[in-house]
Amino acid sequence: MSLLDITDLTVTYSTDSGTVHAVNDVSFSIDEGVNYGLAGESGSGKSTLAEAVLGLLPSNGSVESGSIEFQGRDLTGLSERERRDVLWEDIAYIPQSAMDSLDPVMSTGAQIRQAIQTHRNVTDDKARARVRELFEIVGLDPDRIDDYPHEFSGGMRQRVTIAMALALEPDLIIADEPTTGLDVIVQDKIIDKILEIQDRMDSSLLLITHEIGVIAETCDELSILYGGKAMEQGSVDNVLVNPTNPYTMGLKNSFPEIEEGDQDPVSIPGSPPNLSESPSACVFKDRCPFATEECEASHPDLVDLPNRNHRSACHHVTKAAQMRRDATDPETWGIPDSHDESDRGEVLLETDGLEKYYEQSQPLLEQLRGNDPNYVRAVDGVSLRVRRSEILGIAGESGCGKSTLGETIALLKQPTGGEFVFDGEPYEHYADGNMREFRRKVQIIFQDPFDSLNPRQTVRQLVGEPLTIHDYRTEERERAIIETLEKVGLTPARKFLDQYPHQLSGGQRQRVAVAKALVLDPDFLICDEPASMLDVSLKVNLLNLLRELADTEDIGIVYISHDLASLVQVSDRLAIMYLGRVIEEGDVESIAAEPKHPYTTSLLAAAPEKDPTVDRDRVLLDGEPPDPVDLPSGCVFAPRCPKAEDECRESEPGLDTVRSGEHRAACYFPDGETPAADDLADDRSGTYGDPEFSSPASGDSASD
Amino acid sequence: MSEFQRFLAKRLAISILLTLVAVSVIFVVLRLLPGSPFESLVTAGNLSQQQITEIRAMYGLDQPMWRQYLSYLQSILLFQFGYSILRSQPVWGVLAPRLVNTLILLVPALVTTAVLSSLLGMYVGWNRGSKLEKLSIIATTFLRSTPVFITGILFVIIFAYNLELVPAFGMRSISASPEGYVETFASLDFLHHYILPFTVSVLYYSGDFLLLARNGVVEKRGSEFLKLHRAKGLSEMQQLARAGRNSMLPILTYFALRLGMIFQGLILLEVVFGWPGIGRELVLAIQQQDYPLVQAAVFIMALAVIVANLVADVLYAYFDPTVSTSGGGAA
Amino acid sequence: MSTETKPEAELKKRVEGVAETLRNQFTFLRRDRLAFAGVVIVAAFVFLGLLGPALAPHDPIEHTVRDDTGSMLRLSEPTGAAPFGTTAYGKDVLSQFLAGAQPTFIVGLFGGIGTGALGFLVGLVSGYYGGWVDEVLMRLTDLTFSLPFTPMALLLLTFVTPSVWLMTGIIVAFLWKMPARVVRSEVLSVRERTFVKSARASGASDLRTMLYHVAPNVLPIGFLYTAYGIAWAIAAQASLAFLGFGDPTVTSWGRMLRQVFESGNMRVAWWWVLPPALGIAAITTSVFLIGRAYEEVINPEIQTEQ
Repeated sequence: MSLLDITDLTVTYSTDSGTVHAVNDVSFSIDEGVNYGLAGESGSGKSTLAEAVLGLLPSNGSVESGSIEFQGRDLTGLSERERRDVLWEDIAYIPQSAMDSLDPVMSTGAQIRQAIQTHRNVTDDKARARVRELFEIVGLDPDRIDDYPHEFSGGMRQRVTIAMALALEPDLIIADEPTTGLDVIVQDKIIDKILEIQDRMDSSLLLITHEIGVIAETCDELSILYGGKAMEQGSVDNVLVNPTNPYTMGLKNSFPEIEEGDQDPVSIPGSPPNLSESPSACVFKDRCPFATEECEASHPDLVDLPNRNHRSACHHVTKAAQMRRDATDPETWGIPDSHDESDRGEVLLETDGLEKYYEQSQPLLEQLRGNDPNYVRAVDGVSLRVRRSEILGIAGESGCGKSTLGETIALLKQPTGGEFVFDGEPYEHYADGNMREFRRKVQIIFQDPFDSLNPRQTVRQLVGEPLTIHDYRTEERERAIIETLEKVGLTPARKFLDQYPHQLSGGQRQRVAVAKALVLDPDFLICDEPASMLDVSLKVNLLNLLRELADTEDIGIVYISHDLASLVQVSDRLAIMYLGRVIEEGDVESIAAEPKHPYTTSLLAAAPEKDPTVDRDRVLLDGEPPDPVDLPSGCVFAPRCPKAEDECRESEPGLDTVRSGEHRAACYFPDGETPAADDLADDRSGTYGDPEFSSPASGDSASD
Repeated sequence: MSEFQRFLAKRLAISILLTLVAVSVIFVVLRLLPGSPFESLVTAGNLSQQQITEIRAMYGLDQPMWRQYLSYLQSILLFQFGYSILRSQPVWGVLAPRLVNTLILLVPALVTTAVLSSLLGMYVGWNRGSKLEKLSIIATTFLRSTPVFITGILFVIIFAYNLELVPAFGMRSISASPEGYVETFASLDFLHHYILPFTVSVLYYSGDFLLLARNGVVEKRGSEFLKLHRAKGLSEMQQLARAGRNSMLPILTYFALRLGMIFQGLILLEVVFGWPGIGRELVLAIQQQDYPLVQAAVFIMALAVIVANLVADVLYAYFDPTVSTSGGGAA
Repeated sequence: MSTETKPEAELKKRVEGVAETLRNQFTFLRRDRLAFAGVVIVAAFVFLGLLGPALAPHDPIEHTVRDDTGSMLRLSEPTGAAPFGTTAYGKDVLSQFLAGAQPTFIVGLFGGIGTGALGFLVGLVSGYYGGWVDEVLMRLTDLTFSLPFTPMALLLLTFVTPSVWLMTGIIVAFLWKMPARVVRSEVLSVRERTFVKSARASGASDLRTMLYHVAPNVLPIGFLYTAYGIAWAIAAQASLAFLGFGDPTVTSWGRMLRQVFESGNMRVAWWWVLPPALGIAAITTSVFLIGRAYEEVINPEIQTEQ
């Protein structure tokens, strides 16, 4: 008997504007000890499904039909009280946003204790002992059980929620995007932790995520959801290796990977379906390049494929092999394949030892004594060069100073030291009354598409405003706006002119933001994580657009992101940042293939792999970046570096310490000299020769 | 010095500065405006030249303005309020019992309403959309937005005049002449007079607490951490308790602020109910142009607000460890 | 500015925009029955405020109601001659009630708008510029918080002859602090939003950023507090009049209440008390009810998935 059996589940929300059919006739079952993945873009109904299982649907959501059987008991028919007994005792939950999921005014230990004592009649002492034990299991310091959530970092908070989920050794753990919003290295550690523990406890896992790579690495079986329908399901090895559904193919192809740098990821054009009606046609037909009349007529049933654990809902499932071949070609999806590498032009922007320090406020007494204030060295001596038609990728974890660097080179923040030259003129030239000129030539695109447009302006006003400010093409305003909108792929442009941001989808908004930047025909574009909040297929769209702009418009672009995989796709050169410094720089190919700095190696190794047949060795870094105020002497990475020697702790290596051609790194003991890491394309193992660090179990060590 | 101490020092300095400015404003209003009350005090009435000189000397009006200001500053900051013109006794002697009367009415009322209305607010916030929620919002909106003297008058008409349950006016029966605070306040007669103004103050203040608590809970109800609490299997009441606990801070701060405004808050209520508190005394003093009394009463009211503001800020910084104490003041 | 190129078209668009906003507001109000009741009462009040004195059958102060024998009708219960009864001085309560709406209306409207506008500007500038500008303006609000409103207003009114406009001025001078604080904290959060950064990055000046990008996004809060300001101003005006510090030549609802209270006839003359008391209570409550309905919409934190 399987642990969880979901049969024909349908969930709807009633909203002001009608009913939303979030989950439609989804069935699957999870056996004991199995890791089950649910994948899909936002709006696919995957989180709703989890909430339905847990009975946590918001008050306007209801299970219309179908059953959720857990150990033979239908959860949909339970009373509140009965459900409370099942929750946590049998089914535990790891929530999406660890940042907000812990009660801010209750100590972390008390929250876990509460979970225990709600279900078991144990003394406070016993419960405390259990909490300490749990903290140890998830790699937290057991002495911190009385600390409050805000005293922990994001990754550590997620560990607390995992500890909480484990408290009663449930049969099933539901993890809803447990790593979204975390840095790639932390994410890797958390996934590793979940797997390790779950192995030990022998419980089942339902993992919900939009990252196919994470599922490929952790799950045994999966369902791909789209528009509230299960499009394809079965064992991970079957589904992800040989997808038979066009949507799965699209999803897989749009997931960028580091080693296929020569092959552009292919996006799925269009946007998710309107769920206000129960689907009558195939939910994917509007975006599917293989759609026929048959698809219009009905949504296909899931059919079992012979001889495998694999089911697919597609009318054309028999043509799967042919579709798979076609799906890798962008033209199939109606995307013109433009990839003419243009030559890189003259140097546009050059910085030398650029610094941005923030003074820490300090007591009056200290000031009177004449003590130097402490500085937060957000950007600490960064030297960069960007040419026309070139995309320079800047990668790093959150807090490494990459966004500050972006705003500093956009001169939104004043540099506190170092040289800055743009278009042949130094910083002083622009600071001295020529800022307008600079603002016209340099544009910046910010992270959040939902917040980067003034909600009270129409697209016409939004895109037209820079023209007004700079008195540029004012006599042909309308034409300039329309041209730019078309350039970023918002066609027909006229349709969008009078719309407000809230009437646009996330991808469209981000395009408007790009149009706003491009309308002045800038020479230089700074993009600060422009795609981090977009679904995979939209992300790929945007990356391709930027690549095209660099190639055809001779714009120099700086692309800042924590997502190394997309950076590798889009950039010509890469700079890796750690604690305000660039620690490695060079051509993308050369960094991806032969990282020199141990930090780069671990970043690359932490990115998940979408092909379940590839085994990836994890490189689990100890701890978290140190406090940027109180930096260690010597190499800033030394405290976390598995190869650090005394030399590293004494003096800081310069970027030119290792050099081969354009590729430079700040490390005394660069990687790549050990044979194991030579050929990363085949086996991206991050083995340092030190067995302790190549084994996944080493992540146990406390991360603080 | 720790971050918190620095924050405290800054807030303290600001409060002292504010007190000085407020005191100076009072001086300007009372002495410098055209036809200032102190001048009119001297010129009004049929006084002989000698009497005028005497009065001027008594209030220091014959001195240069800056000297008057300094001595005014000195005396008021030392709580030396001088003599009441009308009552011919020290101002402090007049005000002290009035202050006690006001406090004895409003502090219990404020505490009662803060506890009851907050609890009710949390409950209706949890049961959002219920009849009780609608009803309590209408009722408290009415009570909060209607000027308190009108609520007072309506209550007097209903409960004192028509139902004749309680007396309409004053703090004790005309015949009663108790000695000392204990005898004054620990009597049935006092309680009888107390109940109506007390009820009206409780109702008047209920709106703010109710809405604060309700909004806090409504806001928390959709939060991620409550979802986790729910997933853990906590019962409804336990969940509500967590949501409530997380909404406590604004209520606490608001309580401190309200407490500071207590002297100036319900002047009208005291007038309507003939309650011999500081507010009613102040109105009488203004009407009768007893300016030393006015000066002292206004100063006490201002000081109470400034101190309460300080307390509220410090409470907030102290109880909410997630709030950065350095950013709050300057940003 | 874009208005220089096509002023008429721009203007037309603006007007259309405003019209659409109003339509949306109206449909919204129709959905919330409480707020809709509030709107009806406010409309009635506006009508009284504009036309009340003209509708009054008699002069509220000059005219004395007399019975058939010609003697003054003191404290008469509602009758045909005086539908709302008469006062202790033989005046027609209905006429006083109708005429008394006007000063209440004027002080409420202008006091509210003044409070909202001044508070909005201070909050906007203070929040947007920050630094010492903010420090000074915020300490100023602290000061107005600490000076007790009623006594200070009473003091000022004792040696300046009270008039409706002076009253409005004093009310604005004391009440602007409320919207200023709220608008400021709102501006602080809007200022940090990406589109404001983005506006500066595209070269917009401070003034432009503040007026085009920050201000429109805090305007709803500004309107809300203008509404509250109206209710506060009405309450403040009534309170001052009740204490006897209103304009002695003008009948207002607060003044009517003072007269009943002073004459000691509250116990009997319910017809004299109720019209002004209920009038004030109804209008302030209505304004607050409308405001609350808006707050539910504006405050994103209260908007859960309902």
